[in-house]
Amino acid sequence: MNARIVAALGRPFLVAALLFGAATVRAASGSSAQPAMRSVVAGRCGSCHPAERAQHANSVHAGEEVRCVSCHGGDDRALDERSAHGAGFRGRISKAQEPQLCASCHSNESRMHAYDLPVDQLALYQLSGHGRRLAQGDTKVAVCSDCHGAHEIRRSDDPASSVFAANIPRTCGKCHGDEALMKSRRLPNAYALYETSVHAKQLHDKGNLGAPTCVSCHGTHGATPPQVGDIDKVCGRCHSAERRWYQAGPHREGMLAKGLAECSSCHRAHDVMPAETARLATQCIDCHAKDSAEARVGVKLDEQYRAAAAAVEKADERIAEAEDVPLRTDDYRSRMEVARTYLREALTAGHAVDVEMMATYAEKAHTVGDQVESEIEEKLGNIRLERILLIVFWFYVLATVHFLRRARDRAPRATE
Amino acid sequence: MTMENTTPARSLRDRMLDWLEQRVNLSELFSFLTHFLLLTVPLDTRKPLRELLRDLDRTALPAYATGRQLLGVLMALLFGLEAVTGLLLAFYYRPTPDAAHASTLSIVRDLPLGGLIHQLHAWGALLLVVVVGLRVVRLFWDGLHQAPRELSWVAAVFLLWVALQFDFTGRLLPWDANGYWSVVRGLEVIYGVPVIGPVLAFFVGGHTMSEDLLTRFYVLHVGLLPLLWLVGVYFTVATLRRVGLGSIAQMKPGSSTTTTLRRHRYDLGILLMLSFAVLATLAVLVPFRFSGAADPYTTPPDALPPWHLLGASALMQATPVPMWLTGGLVLLLGLAILTLPWWAARLGERFPAQRLRLAGAVTLGLWLALSVAGLFVGRS
Repeated sequence: MNARIVAALGRPFLVAALLFGAATVRAASGSSAQPAMRSVVAGRCGSCHPAERAQHANSVHAGEEVRCVSCHGGDDRALDERSAHGAGFRGRISKAQEPQLCASCHSNESRMHAYDLPVDQLALYQLSGHGRRLAQGDTKVAVCSDCHGAHEIRRSDDPASSVFAANIPRTCGKCHGDEALMKSRRLPNAYALYETSVHAKQLHDKGNLGAPTCVSCHGTHGATPPQVGDIDKVCGRCHSAERRWYQAGPHREGMLAKGLAECSSCHRAHDVMPAETARLATQCIDCHAKDSAEARVGVKLDEQYRAAAAAVEKADERIAEAEDVPLRTDDYRSRMEVARTYLREALTAGHAVDVEMMATYAEKAHTVGDQVESEIEEKLGNIRLERILLIVFWFYVLATVHFLRRARDRAPRATE
Repeated sequence: MTMENTTPARSLRDRMLDWLEQRVNLSELFSFLTHFLLLTVPLDTRKPLRELLRDLDRTALPAYATGRQLLGVLMALLFGLEAVTGLLLAFYYRPTPDAAHASTLSIVRDLPLGGLIHQLHAWGALLLVVVVGLRVVRLFWDGLHQAPRELSWVAAVFLLWVALQFDFTGRLLPWDANGYWSVVRGLEVIYGVPVIGPVLAFFVGGHTMSEDLLTRFYVLHVGLLPLLWLVGVYFTVATLRRVGLGSIAQMKPGSSTTTTLRRHRYDLGILLMLSFAVLATLAVLVPFRFSGAADPYTTPPDALPPWHLLGASALMQATPVPMWLTGGLVLLLGLAILTLPWWAARLGERFPAQRLRLAGAVTLGLWLALSVAGLFVGRS
């Protein structure tokens, strides 16, 4: 009797317990798309390491049969800790071992071929600043897991990944933003500097994932600072026109001879400033004497640019005025696009620090602006003529009214 | 008089008229046209046209162009000007949402005198509404709604309504931001009036602003409304021909209120010259500015209904009572104005003409104050 009651009461409990169990397994596997596959891969390690298991479930490895034991060794089918951590168990991976461990798969061309992944990461890493220091026994350097994460390794195009473009500055900044660590290495806080740069503004504020991050200039696995003589090549990968003009000018030879950094001497390295045209006149005195011929060139470049920009702006104002009338302005608008292109090119040509070269473009922009302005001025003048015509028209009207009145007064009046 | 037959131009004209007169009764045609003019003398259509006109030249008629009928004459002149400029604009205008703004812009910008014609049409429309409105006020002030002039009053109010519809439908046609949004704000007011609003919404195709509305407004503007206008003018003239002008009792031969058709034609010419010159001056010195193409997805923050709907807008949208109540009030006011001759006559002794004038002036003043208020509360 009692046993039957217990059985009757027990059945729903059993069902509830089973349901609860299923729910826990689901929760542990996170919001993943392929929970069944992952739960198989993770084995029984998660019973004691639930946090690591959940992280691993979100990783790219979970779907590719890279199990806990693949890195840590041991037996994930064992039922107790001793046999799980038994033969071949590696436990926590030390920093010195890590590159080789990851490379055991990632440098294996026959394994990586199917994923279309490169296999030169370890070779590059060993050439990098990080890798060379590690080889010297310095373990306070970045290894694979410092950038990619250990258990939760995601694809680089996954926005949640630590190596996704928008997250790279913060990932590098974990060390390169650590004031104490950087001071001990006599390095700048590159992360804090980068965050103030025009590049960071593009990346964070404008959401431009093509904007340069740390790795764009320093490289990824082979991360190393570009040396004097290479800086213009690195910047020139994006700013190709600026590099061309820079090479045509006198700065290239002079700066190389003195061992001065190319682009970054004026634009700064990590905290790259926006290209404000006003600096054409003020930047030179950072290196040259205030009243030197070189400083005067800068002032001259600035004057040329300002004059051309003012002419373009004035022409734009006239166009807006003409459109209010309205006059046809399509042609002027397209000519102003040409003028603006010249103006932009003038700024690029400024990297040659040659007044003649800058003038080629600045004067063209100036001329187009002036021409458009004078042509519109002429058309607007026709409208002012209308007002003068109006006065003449009123004379005509009043004269006609006068004659009509006289004719009316001559006509016979009503007789009846 | 003898000189008339001697100039070659005159004799050519006479010969052409003779030729026509033998083939069609010109007097009959002229007699038909006078149904839209204010000629009170009977015409003998058996006489040839020249003889008829010669007789008319000698008969006395009220000096409309210089007397109290000036507003009516101006109304006719301005409507003629709107018809001519409107016709010229219609040659190049394309009434589709895609092309309306571009075609208006090209009329204003690229056609010779296109800008002037457009400005004349816009300023003429504004002055037409003002003149027709003032005419209603003057008829009211002079008590010209009393029997037997009820029809003339109804026709005047009707003409004011048609002029406002011209103004309202014309606003949408350039499909520019200002016009478009003032129509949208105006429709919000009109749709809120009980009975009239829903019926109107049905006829223009629903409560929402659709692209078809442009076609409907164009057809109303160039087709139906001109016809209604002519009906209004016909009734104005027809009833006046029967019951006489308000000032006809004071008509004395030789006085300044009386003239001949010939002298009247000169007066009309002077009035036409002056009104055209004023319009042209306004068009050149204070041109209506053209805004960019209408964008139904961006409401400008300062969109206001047309100026003549500001009062109704203030009353209906800014008062804390339901819209049907204030809308009903507007509707009742409109009906009261239209039926003024009948209920004013019933008030009779207890409500003499002076008090009626005072009531009218107060109503108009209140309405103007509401319109000014609408400038501020109408903003979205």
